[in-house]
Amino acid sequence: MLPFLSLLILIPLIFSGITLFTKSREQARVVAFVGALATLALSLYMYFTFDSSSASMQFEEMRSWIPSLGISYHLGVDGIAMPLILLNTIVIPLMLIFTWDDVRSAPNRFYALILAMQAAVIGVFVSLDFFLFYIFWELTLIPLFFMVNIWGGPNKAHASMKFFIYTHVASLVMLLGIFGIYFASWFQSGFPSMDIPYLLSQFPLIEDGMLRDGIFLALLFGFLVKMPSVPFHSWLPDAYVEAPVAGSVLFILLKIAGYGMFRVILPILPDTSNPSLMISILGLLGAVSILYGALVALSQQDLKRMIAYSSISHMGFVSLGCAGFVAYSISGAMFQQFSHGLIMAIMFMSVGVIQATTGTRIINELGGLASKMPKLAVIMMLTFMASLGLPGLTGFVAEVNVLAFSYANVPTYVIVALLAIVITAAYHLWAMQRAMFGVYNEKLGDVSDVSMYQLVPMAIIALLILYFGLNPNPVFEMMLTSSNQIASLMAVLGV
Amino acid sequence: MSDLMLIAPELIIGITGLIIVLAGLFMGRSSKNALGYLAVLGCLSAIALTISSFATTGSLLAEALVIDALSQFFKLVFLAVALIVCIASIKYTEGNDNAEVFFGLVLFGTLGMMFVASANDLITLYVSFELASLSTYALAGFEKKNARSVEAAMKYILIGALSSALLLLGISFVYGATSTTSIPGIAENIDVLLNNTVGILAIVLLIAGFGFKIALVPFHMWAPDTYQGAPSVVSALLAAGSKKMGIIAAFKVFIVALIALQADWKIAFAALAVVTMTYGNVVALSQTSVKRMLAYSSLAQAGYITMAFVVLTPMALTGGILYTLAHGFMKGGAFIAVGAVVYMVMAKNKDSEVPDHLDSFKGLGKKMPITAFCLMIFLFALAGIPPTAGFMSKFVLFSSTIEAGLVWLAVIAILNSAISLYYYARVVKYMYFMPAEGERFSEPAPYLVALLIALAGVLAIGIWPEPFINMAMQAAEVLLPL
Repeated sequence: MLPFLSLLILIPLIFSGITLFTKSREQARVVAFVGALATLALSLYMYFTFDSSSASMQFEEMRSWIPSLGISYHLGVDGIAMPLILLNTIVIPLMLIFTWDDVRSAPNRFYALILAMQAAVIGVFVSLDFFLFYIFWELTLIPLFFMVNIWGGPNKAHASMKFFIYTHVASLVMLLGIFGIYFASWFQSGFPSMDIPYLLSQFPLIEDGMLRDGIFLALLFGFLVKMPSVPFHSWLPDAYVEAPVAGSVLFILLKIAGYGMFRVILPILPDTSNPSLMISILGLLGAVSILYGALVALSQQDLKRMIAYSSISHMGFVSLGCAGFVAYSISGAMFQQFSHGLIMAIMFMSVGVIQATTGTRIINELGGLASKMPKLAVIMMLTFMASLGLPGLTGFVAEVNVLAFSYANVPTYVIVALLAIVITAAYHLWAMQRAMFGVYNEKLGDVSDVSMYQLVPMAIIALLILYFGLNPNPVFEMMLTSSNQIASLMAVLGV
Repeated sequence: MSDLMLIAPELIIGITGLIIVLAGLFMGRSSKNALGYLAVLGCLSAIALTISSFATTGSLLAEALVIDALSQFFKLVFLAVALIVCIASIKYTEGNDNAEVFFGLVLFGTLGMMFVASANDLITLYVSFELASLSTYALAGFEKKNARSVEAAMKYILIGALSSALLLLGISFVYGATSTTSIPGIAENIDVLLNNTVGILAIVLLIAGFGFKIALVPFHMWAPDTYQGAPSVVSALLAAGSKKMGIIAAFKVFIVALIALQADWKIAFAALAVVTMTYGNVVALSQTSVKRMLAYSSLAQAGYITMAFVVLTPMALTGGILYTLAHGFMKGGAFIAVGAVVYMVMAKNKDSEVPDHLDSFKGLGKKMPITAFCLMIFLFALAGIPPTAGFMSKFVLFSSTIEAGLVWLAVIAILNSAISLYYYARVVKYMYFMPAEGERFSEPAPYLVALLIALAGVLAIGIWPEPFINMAMQAAEVLLPL
């Protein structure tokens, strides 16, 4: 059998290299698009041959790499990773179409960075060796940093630096956690290993409870900052807002932190010295993120900033679903990641269109755009509805699973989150009403609707939101299989 | 005869050096280029011999020299650095009437370093130390009409003489207390040294003596000026090679001879390591001269390596030793890349005041694409970004620190490497994201060959570290038998 997962990393990487050496914008975007399409085709093939009913690793690859340190080249996917890979490979080519006509400096580097980013993110999703995982995890930083730093808005230097420092420090803390579990298991078993499944299985055998908690918290910190969760979120609004549209979408596709929660945090959570405390921490941070993100979004003037805060609010559902710790709440959290990626991609694209045509993102300076841009208004409306959780769209599926099934475990936080949903609906509708409906603001001059290049990708993603909202099973089923396995860990302990 | 085979690499380097110096007397200015190729050939054959005889052990000259995995590993580091320096210097010394002196000095300096790696006796160690130092003093001042180069050499000589004096004084105290200069002999008589006030003084002097060579804070003042002022190829030799000589000497003296002191002096080494890496990184942040920045980053890197003395487990030593090799490639490569840029700047404007200013790097990705790419990889390697040698060696070294329970030290080191990323990335930003001024410059071939060799080294250690880790482990076992 072909090494599918290696190819899935290598194809974007190789195309990224080729793109770097193209001479013109036309060449760069075509090469990049071909690369993204090839990756998409491969991931679709893998998706259709993927066995949703099995929680074990599939397409596994295992080669010895640095045996003296127990490091191996170990790849594999399961129901946690597969939907996220699919999300990434679907949205990236669409995003390339969306940016097809954009004029910017150094297009070859721009497209090369996008593909490099894709390779790094997929690398994180498929790595089953902590060493490899960490390498890819760090590699995701570099394209994003340059994306913001070069093609960003007026405040780009500050935003990119802040993003970099925040998340780099967080990953270093995470690295400490990795070292902790690595050496603890080395001392116990007498041989080194960086294998993720092996190390996770060794975690309960670590005798020192303090050490177990320390490792857990270090890893959790790394993921929470990247996710981000309140109170470690302050890099996000700056970075998302200053990034160009493609950069914002790349940030949205950076679902590695939530992935880490499912892959690493939840399997070891039952073996910390006080699991119920850890669950409360997760639930509290989730609920606070949901409420805080919604409240701050309500008060934003800048549409892009509002969306950035709504993103924090939505990611809170991931933490809350994890805190629920039953199969359905965890699957809900996983589905929230998938759904959020689709929804936010359109949201940022819409804001990009609005800013490009009207020259402003300030909500109060817009108004009545729907009359001039009907196509955009339809897609935006659908997305905003999905984002606020209208039944029949993906956001609803995710949130209802999280809320309904987390209630048993963390009822207080679910009630807080329910309250926040009202605010969520409010800021979405209010923004929509002020920006898109009502009387057209004549100061904006003559604006035209979205171009074909922009409309098609947005429409495709919108259809996906509708499709997965009505029929989540194609991805939900595999998520459920994996979450069942995670939740069974907790059940064994009877906590 | 078999004894001589043990030091065959040294003999080759020494003889090549002599031939070059002598042959240079009879050659015209234009044909002296051949000498460079001869020096490269000498380095290559010495490397081949060292690798082929790796892990053989033996001693000669009444145990004044021992050959083992440790000394051979460091010889490889020195030879690799000498190799890339010699290759790049073929261009640097082109048309220079004193080319034979330059190559002769590089080879003699390398010879001194190689003998330090094998020295098993403090006197041998000191003499070899001086051989290397004297050669590099002259090299630093090689551009005798360039005030900066002369200034660099003067500072280097004065501070170097002081450190040699301190070292010699320290050795004499050690000899006075233990009545031997043999390193294993000192280890046997360590009690005498410990119960003697002179012993403490001796150790302080030794730390200072080696500290100057390694450029540990507070013995570092000469390094930035010297690295900046000296010709770039010489800076590469100093930072990537001669600094390692201090490290191997310190390994031998402090780990083999004075291992019993380890517990008492741990905190002193920890303080040196922390202060050195933090100071180096913080000061590097504000530099606009790239060579000076590399000099400060070199301080920081020495600080990381010093952590191996603190942790002192086989794994930490493996990490420290691997780091010296990795550092040889990345720092040597970085200085040579800067050398290529300086060459370009000087070719356009002979009177450039600070040819290695950050502004010279604007748009380098367009002007000198291969040099810029190599430099970017070296800088990322220095910052510890995977998959490079810098990441791999930091990984082994830092993880060993955690293994030993010194989490605080690891945290400081990790935060330091996070800081360092800022100033390395700044150079990359200048190279790739600032508009180029001027046309594409045809990159001089010798520099390119040297850069590509260093690049191959950096990537090989990063991607396939297993053989290098094994070699470093064998070397570490010599220091700290399991």
